[in-house]
Amino acid sequence: MARTLAMFTDTSLCIGCRACQVACKQWNELGMEQPEWTGSYQNHAHFTESTFRLVRFMEAPGASPNGDLAWLLMSDVCKHCAEAGCLDACPTGAIYRTEFGTVNINQDVCNGCRYCVSSCPFGVVTFNEHTGTAKKCTFCNDRIHNGLGPACAKACPTESIQFGFRDELYTKAQKRVETLKAMGFKDAQLYGADQKGFLGGLNAFFLLLAKPSTYNLPDNPKLPQRNVVVDSLLSIGSAVVVGLGALLAFRNRGNGGGHA
Amino acid sequence: MLKTPEWGMMIVLYFFFGGIAGGSYFTAAIADNFGGPRAARVARVGYLLSLPLVALCGLLLIADLGTPSRFLNMVRTLKFWDPMSLGAWVVGVFGLFTFVSSVLSFSPSEETAVLRRRIGLVGMLFGFFLASYTGVLLSATALPFWSDARLMGALFLASGASTGMAAISLILALTGASPADGMAKVKQADRYSMIIELVVLALFLIALGSAARPIISGHFAPLFWGGLVAIGLVVPLVLEFVGHGRAALGAVSAVLVLVGGFILRYVVVMSIQS
Repeated sequence: MARTLAMFTDTSLCIGCRACQVACKQWNELGMEQPEWTGSYQNHAHFTESTFRLVRFMEAPGASPNGDLAWLLMSDVCKHCAEAGCLDACPTGAIYRTEFGTVNINQDVCNGCRYCVSSCPFGVVTFNEHTGTAKKCTFCNDRIHNGLGPACAKACPTESIQFGFRDELYTKAQKRVETLKAMGFKDAQLYGADQKGFLGGLNAFFLLLAKPSTYNLPDNPKLPQRNVVVDSLLSIGSAVVVGLGALLAFRNRGNGGGHA
Repeated sequence: MLKTPEWGMMIVLYFFFGGIAGGSYFTAAIADNFGGPRAARVARVGYLLSLPLVALCGLLLIADLGTPSRFLNMVRTLKFWDPMSLGAWVVGVFGLFTFVSSVLSFSPSEETAVLRRRIGLVGMLFGFFLASYTGVLLSATALPFWSDARLMGALFLASGASTGMAAISLILALTGASPADGMAKVKQADRYSMIIELVVLALFLIALGSAARPIISGHFAPLFWGGLVAIGLVVPLVLEFVGHGRAALGAVSAVLVLVGGFILRYVVVMSIQS
């Protein structure tokens, strides 16, 4: 495997211009959609089959260093988890990991079962009714295989979205948190940067200025497949009890003869 | 934030018929192997019922895909830790077992019967799998309630047993079988399964606690408490015990169990997707 690539989204630098969102649409030829009213400048409310980069606008009372209301911006994207629920759920093998560590959906193999949609802890994967397949950010798979960064990172005017090798970006991100803390942003923190943390680390990780729940991110997302073994064992237990019940009912008590 | 897969009525029906197919097959296999000649009719009805149902299951699954023409991609690969991948394979393999068992159930020869019983013992394992893996599949998602339910597979299995046995007893009743044809035995097995299902359901709810809210309160609560618990389990059990052997009441209770089994799948699948 090649050296792992990553995107580091430093939300403290985001100005909400949505150049990333537009660049993503243009490069990936994603169609326009009906806008929806979300109560803020944010559009759309969630990722859709044609919106893979989405700038979130959050108003957080008391979250700024001087205690005022903070207007938090975050350019959100598929996290390309090291332990990816969608990838583990995919029964066709359409969802695969590239040599760069990113997670991609092979559109020629996906048959639209939608199990990945329910297995993403972040609500990223979306079913497209027109193509009959699941859609999400590709990490601009075509671009990174030709030595270019993802369109969103390229278009970002403030370097809020940075693209590079994961280890280098992680070091950079840690320094940036220290700087921000010294500036008074006491809740500045990395999200998904630590490879020993949840989901084996996210290959698109973030710097947040408030706790994850302020950004509607789960504090401690878990791999959906963690339950399979326990649930299967409990099912086997249930099968044994049910089977014994049936055996008890059907057992020939010598009143009708027979082979058993 | 989280997204639901928008699985609708086709998946509800698949879960329901898959449970009956698995339940009726393992009931048939147990009756065939351990029930003696008096259970022969139960075995045949069980095998013959599972065959068309598992075929219907396959069709429902294919029709629900976003790109149905790519249904064979489901068996492009096999992931042992992935309920849906295993499940797709098992629908096919179990389908073969139901076909072979059904064909062999027509042979009067004792040698074929021995072979059929052995095949039944193996096929039974796939029947258990088909009846329960759909619950494990739901609990291996990122969605609340589904992923909180450790006993979803166990509950679906018990329901598969009770509905599979109810379906067999209903067919026996409609085809004019006498109690001597194993009717009494399959009824007794069904009573055990219903009691097990009630116990598992209670444990399921206790273990879930407040995570069970989508089904125990709100929009789906009347269906859950009235449709599944009361009409689908308690009433049929009471009918079985007070009706004692009356054929008409037995048929009514079998129908109620089937209704309850459908409502269980409907409530579980739809409650967090609406």
